[in-house]
Amino acid sequence: MREKLISLLVLVFLVSLTLSGCGGSSSNGGSGGKTDEKTITFWTPLTGDDGAYMDEMVKAYNATNPKFKVKHVVTSDMYTKIFTVMNSGKGIPDLAIIHADRVPGFVDKDMLEPLTDIMSAQPSINADNYIPQAWNAGTVNGTQYTVPLDIHSNAMYYNKDLLEQYGVSNFLDDNVITFDEMLSLKGKLKKGDYVVNDALISWVILAQIQNLGGDIKDANENPTVNTPEMKQAIEEIKKISDAGLMTPYGEDGYLMFQSGHVLFSTDGTWTSTAHAQVKGLNFGVTNIYSFDPAVFHNRASSHMFAMLKNDARSDEKEKGIADFLEWVRNNSIKWAEAGQIVASKVVFDSPEYQKYIQSFFTSSEAETNSLYIYTYKYYPEVQEALDTYSADMVHGKLDIDKGLKQAQKFVDDKIKEDTSGKSKK
Amino acid sequence: MARTKSISKNSNLSKYLAYTFLIVLCVIWAVPLLFGITTSFRSQTEVVSVGFRMLPVDWVVENYIATLENTSTAPIMQWLFNSIFIATIHATLVVVMVSITAYGYTRLKFKGRDFLFFTLLGISLFPGVVNLIPSYKIIDVLGWVNTPWAMIFPGLAGMGNLFLVRQFMVGIPKELDECAKIDGAGDWTIFYKIILPLVRPVLIVVFLFSFTGSWNDFLWPVIVYTDVERMPVTAGLLLLQDIYGNYRMIGQLMSSAILAIIPTLLLFLFAQKYFIQSMNLNAGIKG
Amino acid sequence: MKKFNLKPAIFIGPHLIFFIVFGLLPSLYGIYASFTQWDLVSDPVWVGLDNYKTILFDKDSTFSYQFYNGLKNTFVFVVASVPFLIIIPLLVAAALENKGVKLKGLFQAILYVPGLISASAAALIWGLIFNAQLGFTSNVFGMDIPWAANQPYAWIIILILTIWGGIGGNLIIYRASISGIDKSLYEAAEIDGANKFQKFINVTLPSIRFPLLYTFVMTTAGCFNVFVQPLMMTRGGPNQSTTVLMMYIRDLAFTSGSSIAGMASAMAVLLGIVILIISIFQYVLMMRNSN
Repeated sequence: MREKLISLLVLVFLVSLTLSGCGGSSSNGGSGGKTDEKTITFWTPLTGDDGAYMDEMVKAYNATNPKFKVKHVVTSDMYTKIFTVMNSGKGIPDLAIIHADRVPGFVDKDMLEPLTDIMSAQPSINADNYIPQAWNAGTVNGTQYTVPLDIHSNAMYYNKDLLEQYGVSNFLDDNVITFDEMLSLKGKLKKGDYVVNDALISWVILAQIQNLGGDIKDANENPTVNTPEMKQAIEEIKKISDAGLMTPYGEDGYLMFQSGHVLFSTDGTWTSTAHAQVKGLNFGVTNIYSFDPAVFHNRASSHMFAMLKNDARSDEKEKGIADFLEWVRNNSIKWAEAGQIVASKVVFDSPEYQKYIQSFFTSSEAETNSLYIYTYKYYPEVQEALDTYSADMVHGKLDIDKGLKQAQKFVDDKIKEDTSGKSKK
Repeated sequence: MARTKSISKNSNLSKYLAYTFLIVLCVIWAVPLLFGITTSFRSQTEVVSVGFRMLPVDWVVENYIATLENTSTAPIMQWLFNSIFIATIHATLVVVMVSITAYGYTRLKFKGRDFLFFTLLGISLFPGVVNLIPSYKIIDVLGWVNTPWAMIFPGLAGMGNLFLVRQFMVGIPKELDECAKIDGAGDWTIFYKIILPLVRPVLIVVFLFSFTGSWNDFLWPVIVYTDVERMPVTAGLLLLQDIYGNYRMIGQLMSSAILAIIPTLLLFLFAQKYFIQSMNLNAGIKG
Repeated sequence: MKKFNLKPAIFIGPHLIFFIVFGLLPSLYGIYASFTQWDLVSDPVWVGLDNYKTILFDKDSTFSYQFYNGLKNTFVFVVASVPFLIIIPLLVAAALENKGVKLKGLFQAILYVPGLISASAAALIWGLIFNAQLGFTSNVFGMDIPWAANQPYAWIIILILTIWGGIGGNLIIYRASISGIDKSLYEAAEIDGANKFQKFINVTLPSIRFPLLYTFVMTTAGCFNVFVQPLMMTRGGPNQSTTVLMMYIRDLAFTSGSSIAGMASAMAVLLGIVILIISIFQYVLMMRNSN
């Protein structure tokens, strides 16, 4: 009898515990299914300090007492999260920031809502008021799907003191450092000093493709990785590594730049704030190195506001989103503090913006035009291939012809598995 | 006479060997740990410029202040509280359930008992990469999205701790059960009065393991939570990466990593004491 | 006795329910996914055995290369790390059993705490230690090795990171099990003239065979699933020589382009089968030895 009683008690205990969990609205907050009707849920992948700046902007917007307040959720692994909720159909955010290279893929999979209603609600949100490449990166087949927040670009930082030390500050005269200029330093550097690092080397290569007049796709929209331009770009960069002028394979070139041993660092506009924290590092920003001072590009991407397809989002709320986006267009100077190139014209034209180091990239038409955003549907796969193979090729660990063949196969195989168009949700 | 002498020489030698081995190992193990701790007191400037030094040239607390101050985007104290809440409840439930279940798989006889156990174990060995999506769907149906229950309950399905406790229970001689049965004890009594005390050290270990396991889970909480304030600390720390997934502010990462292990460290030290006590209690029971 | 015995159901029932809901169902879905092409967003598209055929038999396919290369690297990692992860804690536990040793708690704590630190922080610490410019190995020992750029050094730094954080758990288990060994067994062995080493082999090890089996199986299975250490120390290089299978699987499923979750699932299922076979092998080996 005692046995049965205890068994029953244990069962009741465990069941009630589970049921209390099923209750949903426990003392630790309600279930995630219910979203506040008056709140715009806004997901961003802006981890780190960048998230803090976005937070401040959202706070400032909410302080203007809008009809719909914005709730900013920063998340790492945002895309995994997005796929999860899109698959389940529930808990989809009202607004999200996505990267430019995701746009064609997302549109293909029918994940994005066109912004036509937003643009009619707020007519100033149009192509004229943003950096052209940033705006166009959100246009697919004539329909606008995104509004840009910024362009974040590959940028080359230089160590002012080291340049002076080696007497080559004149390299900066035309704002373009060339391969020849870098190679001229061969044999002239102290042991432990390097001309350039291999940070974001795949982005640098992609810029060189543009410099050489190549592309990553052919006329039929097939990806082309194994091209003469790609080969030339990698070979030229390899020359720099072979000459001992590039930071060694496997070393953290970013840290080496910060420690004052590297003249040039090819990282991104968003790292200027981190570099600024290193006392004694006198740095400036310029374009990614190129072959010819007249032809230079900086591979860039963009953070774009997008609306994921969501039946639960009301028309009223969409108007609220339009209001928020218009506010951002006028007030995103705060975003410049994160080191990013703000996309809104009214902001980057303002005198206040000029004091930020990244205003370099909008300081002239030539500069603005150098910001190159790849809008090709299979760009992510191409970049992944480069990320996988280019470091090994540049540092001589993998034969370039062999590597490019493998990289091409890599992209081709992945694309064959693409199910877009095969099944609709 | 010669026999006793060689025995004591033998034990002295082995004692010194043991000490030497332990000390060398611990020095190797401790150096990086100390380096991590002292790096948390270094500024980024010092991290990148000074070569290896154990002690910082300039001790700075700005990393800790920055980490603790950031209550809007990285509320580490809230995260620690969440983690403690989740991990404690989870670990307690695991200990209760695992001990009862292991008893069932070792002391109760029923058809297919071992086959069932090892089948479940085998299934659990499969890496679950895309399991994320169906798991999320199930959590959604249960209404647990964005709640701590999503962190606490799914882990109860685990086989690791169950396997561990089962292995210990298997090693407990059946004669003890027989004695109790002769005295008229039923299964619950045997479980509670005889088996449970003997596996106490292991259960402490299970508590520790499941607590730290729950604590260190980082991918699942990111998917399941939409509110930054509700996240547990290890998932929260991922938010300190820069937007391309790199940790740039090294000193700050170290300081947040260290703040994140303080609760589990304290739990370990506490458990260690309790654990050593239990082991001494058990020493007399065999035979 | 045709009566349905409720008692086992109550003991193992709750766990079984949790297992079915949170363990079995998602796994079944994962297995189903391996027979499809799936981009995580839309519905999976059934392709039967195509994924498996590509992975196992299509020599030109990138996925086949990834699978075999990843599996090979995973094996290297497992074979290199598991012995250390078992033997070192075993020796430490044996040393700590020695009555003369004081400060047992301190030794244990120092060896356990590294496992509590987040993998990325740990990788950063060791990355700094091996850093050519700022690190311990170059400044203190004067070593000029580019660790992450060449084999076998790339594997060495991954192993060091893994072992540093990985012995704590097994250490605790061994201590718990060794402490429970009947002292009279040791006394009997001493009377037979056994020295410490013989006592260890003939008394200690057989007495803890069940927990030992547990750690052997679980450590091995755990190492098959590792991906953080290689990712953070060497990014899988040089030339993909340290890219373990789990890294490829996760890349395929959670990539920046279209997710190739079906192929990833197929690889995961195959990996699971490998782990299962090895675990069964280990179990049989150990159970046979104990007789």
